[in-house]
Amino acid sequence: MDPTLLTQYVLAGLVIGGIYCLMAVGITFIYSVMKMINWAMGEFYMIGGYVQYVLITAWLGPQRWALALPLAVLTVAALGMLVQRLLLQPMFAGQLERLDEYATIVTISLTVLFRNLAVVLFGPYQFSPRDYAPPVQLGPLPINGSRVVAFLGAAVLLGLFALVVRRTWLGLALRSVAQNRLGALAAGINLSRIDMLAFGIGVGLAGAAGALLAPVFLVYPESGALSTVKGFEIIVIGGLGSLPGSIVGGFLLGLVESLGSVLISPSFRDVYGFGLLLLLLALRPTGLWGEQAREA
Amino acid sequence: MKAAMGRGGVAALTVAMALALGVATSVGWAAPAPVTLGVLTPLSPPGDTSAGQLIVRGAELGVQYINTAMGGLFGGKNGCTLPATPVRLAVEDSSGVPERAVAGFRRLVTEDHAVGVFGAFHSSAMLAAAPLADEFMVPYISTQASAADITRKHFAAVFRTHPIDPDRAATWLGFIQAQGWHRVAMLAENTDYGIGLVEATKALIAQKKMNVALDAVIFDRTSSDLTPQLLKFKAARPDLLINVGVGTPAYLIIKQAHDIGLFPQTPMLGSYDFPVRAEYWKNLGPTGVYLTFISYYHPRMALSPLGKWAAVEYAKRYHDTAIYSNLNAFGDAVILAEAMSQACSRDPRKVIAALERGRFDTWIGGGATFPRADGVLWHQWSPPLVILQYTQAEQTYDQAPILYPPSMKTGTYQAPR
Repeated sequence: MDPTLLTQYVLAGLVIGGIYCLMAVGITFIYSVMKMINWAMGEFYMIGGYVQYVLITAWLGPQRWALALPLAVLTVAALGMLVQRLLLQPMFAGQLERLDEYATIVTISLTVLFRNLAVVLFGPYQFSPRDYAPPVQLGPLPINGSRVVAFLGAAVLLGLFALVVRRTWLGLALRSVAQNRLGALAAGINLSRIDMLAFGIGVGLAGAAGALLAPVFLVYPESGALSTVKGFEIIVIGGLGSLPGSIVGGFLLGLVESLGSVLISPSFRDVYGFGLLLLLLALRPTGLWGEQAREA
Repeated sequence: MKAAMGRGGVAALTVAMALALGVATSVGWAAPAPVTLGVLTPLSPPGDTSAGQLIVRGAELGVQYINTAMGGLFGGKNGCTLPATPVRLAVEDSSGVPERAVAGFRRLVTEDHAVGVFGAFHSSAMLAAAPLADEFMVPYISTQASAADITRKHFAAVFRTHPIDPDRAATWLGFIQAQGWHRVAMLAENTDYGIGLVEATKALIAQKKMNVALDAVIFDRTSSDLTPQLLKFKAARPDLLINVGVGTPAYLIIKQAHDIGLFPQTPMLGSYDFPVRAEYWKNLGPTGVYLTFISYYHPRMALSPLGKWAAVEYAKRYHDTAIYSNLNAFGDAVILAEAMSQACSRDPRKVIAALERGRFDTWIGGGATFPRADGVLWHQWSPPLVILQYTQAEQTYDQAPILYPPSMKTGTYQAPR
């Protein structure tokens, strides 16, 4: 194969992989802190896209997309915190049995609700804001400006996220809750507030991915469905609960999809990720960065 | 005793009145129950929901035409002595998904008692529901689903008023020859529609021994990033890229081909008329300029009186210009109504027989027939196809020049400067 072409495929895979990371980190983060899987993650991605589109087209104008971006992220994060407070908090407060099943039912119901709300509010049409930036030549690969913005935006957001988690009191509290909820409670940390913040931050990352990718993949009621699947693939590849694993998993998935679809067949693009997932589970059941655990 | 007889008399009178009312109803003194026409079309994702909305509008207009301009069904027309009967519409959402289409078709027939069904857009959904049409023997017309198997499988109750894969393949291969192009790339989604078009194009090239090298790639319809395939095409430098995506994938192919510098430097042909919709320019902006695309209607094409009525009334009712999806759904409603009138019956079996032997007015003229012909031509009537090109941003499709066929040509292919 032509080395230039191969480089193009690798670069294309890395760019898309970097964007996948945002979604996966959000899912992993919520899982780490709240010990629940948010199946509606893709819908928060979709809402982020819609909020960004509405802000740009109806209020701020296409030139101020960068101003719209934090507003979209904050809106999604606020919605997430509201959802957590109204629908998820009771399951912790009431100490219900089978918390996982409760969370699964609530978040899957939310996917249906949000998708149908999108159809009611915006109709079943596709929308796309104007590109955020002109095309960029990355080595031999011409890349859409919005993809570059999305990739860089993802890197900045992940950096900020790492900074908050590693260097702030909030991050310390989040990490302690992730390590041991009872221990954190005994140390005086308000678990319900931390849960709400963690959920808001996690879905905010998904909302950021949706807002960043709005001009790239279009915005429509089901635009989040595939993102959720990819996010879960990545966190299993990287190791459930591992943030570095999510990042490496995102890049790996992007590369495997890109190379598989040109070297084998694009008809099975989504199968390659699952192939990688099965292979890793067979060789290393905990994922790349996952740790073995035992429950009493 | 006297009082008892009085109560008996009242009871007898009541029974007599009830009987009289029943007889009166049965001989037609009351208005007859409306006949239901069913529309099964994608109204929610992952189907092409814009198409579904347009089809429903066309169907609503068809019902308006039947109930007003035609004066309802029967009522003395074609020597039919049945009383004039209004038509109502029942709409079901297929989502473009086979299992939902099957459930929707079943509901239309068993709950709404639809005498005929139309509105299909996605071939996979249409093909899934087609066996049910045969099981219930209820006529099912494909409004915009074009996979060859829909008619090639010779379902007794399935009909089509939309171009088939060979029509489309013949049109773009004719265009390719007229342009003097030889290397053609085709990016097709993994649906009955996409795969059917790849096969039809390959078959026609082989059959006519055309000097065209076709590089066809089939992609997963749920993929959102097609950059690797498009990079591969870019390296091969084709003369034309045929975009066989439906709905979101069609837009993604244009955007991503533009991002990597493949389009418009390499001409692209859209496999159906999605660019005539309002959202085309909203989604693509200047990126959408220079796209060529198949269209089933252009205002320069002469409309029949039926088509003219539809175009005028559509503009009045929806404050928009009618496009093919509206007109063909409208036409399907009228064809079913005409078949019922010709059969002088609302019995679906008799309507199927009438469709097979009759000739029906269409929006484009020429008269549609649905013969029991061989192969894919079974129960098939195709409207004409044209290839248009957008030559400037925000252009409306009625301003777009017709590039093909030569008999209707109003312009030549414009490459970017």
